[in-house]
Amino acid sequence: MEIIEKIKTNQLINNQTEIQKICLHKLQSSPIPNPKSELWRLSNKSKFSNFLNYSVNEKNSKFDIPYPENSQNSIRLIIGENCKIKFIKENYSIQQLSEDELNKYIKDQIACFDQNENWSDLLNLSLSSKKNFLGLKINGSKIPPIEIFSHASSNSLNAKTLVIILEKNCDIELLQVNLGKENSSLSQSTFFVLEENSSVNHGVVSYGKNKSNLINSLNVIQEKNSSYNLGSLHFKFNYARFEIRIKQSAGNAKTNIKGMQITKKDEQISTYTKIEFNGPNGFLDQINKSLADDKSHAIFEGSIIVPKIAQKTDASQLSRNLLLSNYAQIDTKPQLEIIADDVKCKHGATIAQLNEEELFYMRTRGITLLEASKLQLSSYFQEIISFIPVSKDKWDLLDKLLNEN
Amino acid sequence: MVNENLVKDVVKEPYKYGFVTDIETEKISKGLNEDIIRLISQKKEEPQYLLDFRLKAFKKWQKMDEPDWAGLGYEQIDYQDIIYYSAPKQKEKISSLDEVDPKLLETFDKLGIPLTEQKKLTNVAVDAVFDSVSIATTFREELAEHGVIFCSISEAVKNHSNLIEKYLGTVVPASDNYFAALNSAVFSDGSFVYIPKGVTCPMDLSSYFRINSGDSGQFERTLIIAEESSSVSYLEGCTAPMFDTNTLHAAVVELIALDDASIKYSTVQNWYAGDEEGVGGIFNFVTKRGKCLGKRSKISWSQVETGSSITWKYPSCLLLGEESVGEFYSVALTNNLQQADTGTKMIHIGPKTKSTIVSKGISAGNSINSYRGLVKMGTKAAGSRNYSQCDSMLIGDQASANTFPYIKSQQPNSEIEHEASTCRISEDQLFYLQSRGIEFEEAVSMMVSGFCRDVFNQLPMEFAAEADKLLALKLEGSVG
Repeated sequence: MEIIEKIKTNQLINNQTEIQKICLHKLQSSPIPNPKSELWRLSNKSKFSNFLNYSVNEKNSKFDIPYPENSQNSIRLIIGENCKIKFIKENYSIQQLSEDELNKYIKDQIACFDQNENWSDLLNLSLSSKKNFLGLKINGSKIPPIEIFSHASSNSLNAKTLVIILEKNCDIELLQVNLGKENSSLSQSTFFVLEENSSVNHGVVSYGKNKSNLINSLNVIQEKNSSYNLGSLHFKFNYARFEIRIKQSAGNAKTNIKGMQITKKDEQISTYTKIEFNGPNGFLDQINKSLADDKSHAIFEGSIIVPKIAQKTDASQLSRNLLLSNYAQIDTKPQLEIIADDVKCKHGATIAQLNEEELFYMRTRGITLLEASKLQLSSYFQEIISFIPVSKDKWDLLDKLLNEN
Repeated sequence: MVNENLVKDVVKEPYKYGFVTDIETEKISKGLNEDIIRLISQKKEEPQYLLDFRLKAFKKWQKMDEPDWAGLGYEQIDYQDIIYYSAPKQKEKISSLDEVDPKLLETFDKLGIPLTEQKKLTNVAVDAVFDSVSIATTFREELAEHGVIFCSISEAVKNHSNLIEKYLGTVVPASDNYFAALNSAVFSDGSFVYIPKGVTCPMDLSSYFRINSGDSGQFERTLIIAEESSSVSYLEGCTAPMFDTNTLHAAVVELIALDDASIKYSTVQNWYAGDEEGVGGIFNFVTKRGKCLGKRSKISWSQVETGSSITWKYPSCLLLGEESVGEFYSVALTNNLQQADTGTKMIHIGPKTKSTIVSKGISAGNSINSYRGLVKMGTKAAGSRNYSQCDSMLIGDQASANTFPYIKSQQPNSEIEHEASTCRISEDQLFYLQSRGIEFEEAVSMMVSGFCRDVFNQLPMEFAAEADKLLALKLEGSVG
């Protein structure tokens, strides 16, 4: 209940929006998520309460963008800083959603929320003020790559919300970067609608500093013939959750997901995905990689739901995990729930350490053990990093992963 | 297009074990309380430690909640509306099979269970359990020559009390889960097997469970102990009459394997599954667990689950001994409104332990068939390996097949591999077989049998043949 009191007292000073009121009301009936539910069962309780422990802050401190502006004309947006966004060019337009449009959309979403499953979104929406709420409507073609930044300020709990409606036949590359400061908590919720025939290459890169926390929730609705590619990377968070919910609302859509989480020290990072096929001919190819070192804990839970209507679905899910230390642990639970009979669904999971034979081979060629393990790790990371759009050329993520502690 | 109706017809074979034996039985009154437990204990002339064990379990059970995590849909069970002890009336002591009520023998004869010792050719020793009591155990003398103890657990309590006191509840503690606690409080009968050091059991042992009364639950308890370097193969079969009420079956099976010992436990479960509308049928809530205590010990579970309206069963292995091995081979077939939530738990505790899981689920009609399994590598399980494979086959577009594997590793020097797939009976394959002159139904049954081959290969021969036939019968009319 503490968190609700905190939000309430904070909101009393400012004007509460209608959405905030609705969500706060909903949150009151379940002030904390059900610890017995599969979604929260493995979540570290003290880390989670630490997440909520910071004071709610709407003001944003300045932050350093982790890499220089691209020479190409990419569009760079920072949630909480851009007041008015309007790019209307010959081929395309990127505009802010009007307040009414935004409210209507979010209210429709809230109506379908499950109190426990969408707890992170409820928290986000009850915290997120107008200023930290970015809604975009994108249409047209030849749109330059878009970069959107969210960041937390030190010693505070920030909430940022992003809504993107991609209109028909539109094609974009979008990189979302979530940055954690020292001792901070960031709640990021993203709502994505892909209208018919649209396509997105979506990258999500989240990384923190000492003791930063993150709850990152991503809700995607894919209409017919849309294609959604997601490359994600989460690392250096004391506590992080990445929740992905994708719904192919009428089937006939393609989803590709490649995600990775890396935990060190005593960090806990978890990824939850739920992919629903609400129509026939859906396609999914998902791979999730985890790497756990030191005393850390990596969790993956992915569910694929194929109801009767979703005939001819082709879905595959793979969870690959590397466990590098005696004190680290990995939990993985890929699951299938299938009713339609004419489907191809499979999943797989492996947990192992670095391949000893490969290491030995490299060492016989004069490569040191450290170098050889780095080589192996880089090939393990590269599959995911190469899938993240925009950043991959100019921002050396691989170097960050291999060389930073 | 596969003819849906034909497939449905294939599954519609009536349940042939659904008859009721008209025999005078001794039943105690309905309900569950301390007095009932004392009464059961008294009827079985049990020593004090066992009564204490029961009462302790009952106290724990009262504080527990019925598990709901499996998401099985069934009406709340009224535990006070169940008879916890029901036994066919017979003479005080039976010295030979000739004294067993002929009606009972006839019942088992009808079920195809060889109780009369003339049927020695089958070379399987049988312990037959009818409602709450064991009525006969065959081949005892032959087994005794090898030092093998095979009897009902009530007899073991009387004659081998030290073993029971030492091992009962050590694998599945009374407080393990809701149904295990209930069983610990009210267990009636079951089988007890003890294989002494260095003995390879000369014949397959088997127990046959038969529920006859509609209003009594069956709570049997099986305990198998394999001493150093011994081995045994144990088979279990179950049937029940057709009643339009649900009957509760909550059993506990405990296996203990010491150094170099091996236990193979096979089940063909064919409890009454309820009718097409889902009326009646057995609620099969069973806790089965084996403990590989010794080095290089091995426990292998194989099961064919075709009956019960609801199955909730996870035969597990605790792999404590160095280089111990756990195996789980399962075929679960659900049809009509059956629900099966079954799988295994492989807990790797000792170093260099290995486990294999092969699970095949077939769902037809409106049934729900879920695989739920846990593979856990503890911190000391260095050099351990697990391989799991779960395949589901869907017949018709109303059935559901779910897979929930929980995988947890705390040991970097171990490997876990899991794979799962879902398929249907392929039209191409059906067409191919049919074009070769194979009847439609036979083609379907061949394909199902092929799908389950990995598991059937693990069953003892008599069972494999029975299982194959059983699946074909169960599926009759459901594929089309």
